[in-house]
Amino acid sequence: MMRVIPDSAGGDESPRAPTAVSWSPRVRFIVSLALVWHLVALLVGPISSPPSMLGERLQSIYAPYLQAAYLNHGYKFFGPDPGPSHLVRYVVETSDGERIEGTFPDRKTHRPRLLYHRHFMLSEFLVGLAGPWDPRFDWHNQPLSKSQEAYIESYAHHLLAVHGGKRVTLYLVEHRLATPQEVIEGMRLDDSQLYRSRKLGSFES
Amino acid sequence: MQLVRQYLREAGEGGRDGWNRFWFTPADPATLGLVRVLAGAMLLYTHMVWTLDLPDFFGGDSWTSSHAASMALPDSGRFAWSYFWLIKSPAALWAAHIAALAVFAMLTLGLFTRVVSVLAYLAAVSYVNRVPGSLFGLDQINCMLAMYLMIGPSGAAYSLDRLRLSRAADGTRGLAAPSTSANLAIRLMQVHMCVIYFFAALGKLRGDSWWAGDAMWLSVANLEYQSWDVTWLARWPLLSAITTQITVYWELFFCVLVWPRLTRPIMLALAVPVHLGIALCMGMITFGLIMLVGCLSFVPPWLVRQCIERRQKGAGEGRGAHTGKMRRRPPSSAVSGGRKSA
Repeated sequence: MMRVIPDSAGGDESPRAPTAVSWSPRVRFIVSLALVWHLVALLVGPISSPPSMLGERLQSIYAPYLQAAYLNHGYKFFGPDPGPSHLVRYVVETSDGERIEGTFPDRKTHRPRLLYHRHFMLSEFLVGLAGPWDPRFDWHNQPLSKSQEAYIESYAHHLLAVHGGKRVTLYLVEHRLATPQEVIEGMRLDDSQLYRSRKLGSFES
Repeated sequence: MQLVRQYLREAGEGGRDGWNRFWFTPADPATLGLVRVLAGAMLLYTHMVWTLDLPDFFGGDSWTSSHAASMALPDSGRFAWSYFWLIKSPAALWAAHIAALAVFAMLTLGLFTRVVSVLAYLAAVSYVNRVPGSLFGLDQINCMLAMYLMIGPSGAAYSLDRLRLSRAADGTRGLAAPSTSANLAIRLMQVHMCVIYFFAALGKLRGDSWWAGDAMWLSVANLEYQSWDVTWLARWPLLSAITTQITVYWELFFCVLVWPRLTRPIMLALAVPVHLGIALCMGMITFGLIMLVGCLSFVPPWLVRQCIERRQKGAGEGRGAHTGKMRRRPPSSAVSGGRKSA
């Protein structure tokens, strides 16, 4: 026989059982005010992503709290559509002429999986910082936003420091998702037709 | 007019009583204690993994410079504080990291929990605010749970703190006292989980693929996420469509259907395949598991005690529960989460 779970958080077995609240009315009032503030805060992040008028107004009030408490999230996991993934390929040239090539994320070197995911997010985050699509340019020549430029420079600086390089060039690689029909027809998910690449910039130490 | 006044008065009184009952009824801290153990373990693991590349992410020449971090956040991220910005030397960085790992370990074990739960939250937020470009859902849920664990007495059950309590004169140890702040913490977790699922569903419904039923395929066909090859789904479009739609509607209605007694077990049971599917097929084991820990907040304390303490053969709270040694608190209808005596 199925045993139903009580409807309260704590779970008094009888939903109609009389309950007694604790804390004095004054304490409850103060805590209630804090709760209302916090509960509204939980909604500000999601309704600001994508931007909305109400979200912007509330952000102007709540931004300090949301940022300090790390609550400013949209919670749009894999929404609105699961899209292509992105990687960053780099070529580091050292002063003695050596060329070091690599990609992040890289399953072979970034282990365990969580560390791989940290590197994966570096490349995905970079793409997420893009400004509005400029119809005057194709994908390969889309202008970079100020935030993207700052991150690309930061990644370049890190790679130069780690590899002791004098020059580094970074490329953004986009990996399109194969359609079911393409897979049925024998295409592998790592087929070269699914990739395209654009140069992000070259930097010197 | 009098009917309207009467309606408003009754609605006001009912709303006030319901609000007080929902937030301010004392609860057995068993569920909160179990969430602490699991969330603490995830916080510990998450930050242990940072150890492998600590200077690369948190050092002076890290992936994310202070300029880049400030560019990525509104208001230049001036409220996104982190003590890592103050750390300049590698030795200090390692010392801070080891200290944080110790805090997360103590939280998991429930040692000096009142203090370490606050330190754990501060440490967790410091890490994420230092590396905004390396984060994903796992970090959001980690910090959310850490925040609420410091509100309630999360060390009152299943903890070393509990074991450290001196036994009563008759050699027994009573159950942890019901606590309003335990209820508050669990309620906040529950409401926050509802907000997350609701907006996750709304976000998905803005996209064509979740509506049309292709999204599941698009998720499993992503090689960079893939940890388990499920591309055979290409030949089963209807299965892809069904699992896509179930995911969206489950997320959308979670905030409603998780509260009634009849539908709560169904919603929580569905959370298991949804999140284990993400964990196993898309390589996000940590994210899948921490979402399940969040869902655990909906499991009532009496069920937590029944599941855990039945399995406890050694010393501790559970032993007393089944040998008759435990000094139970008198059953009280005023206690949310108290299991009724037979």
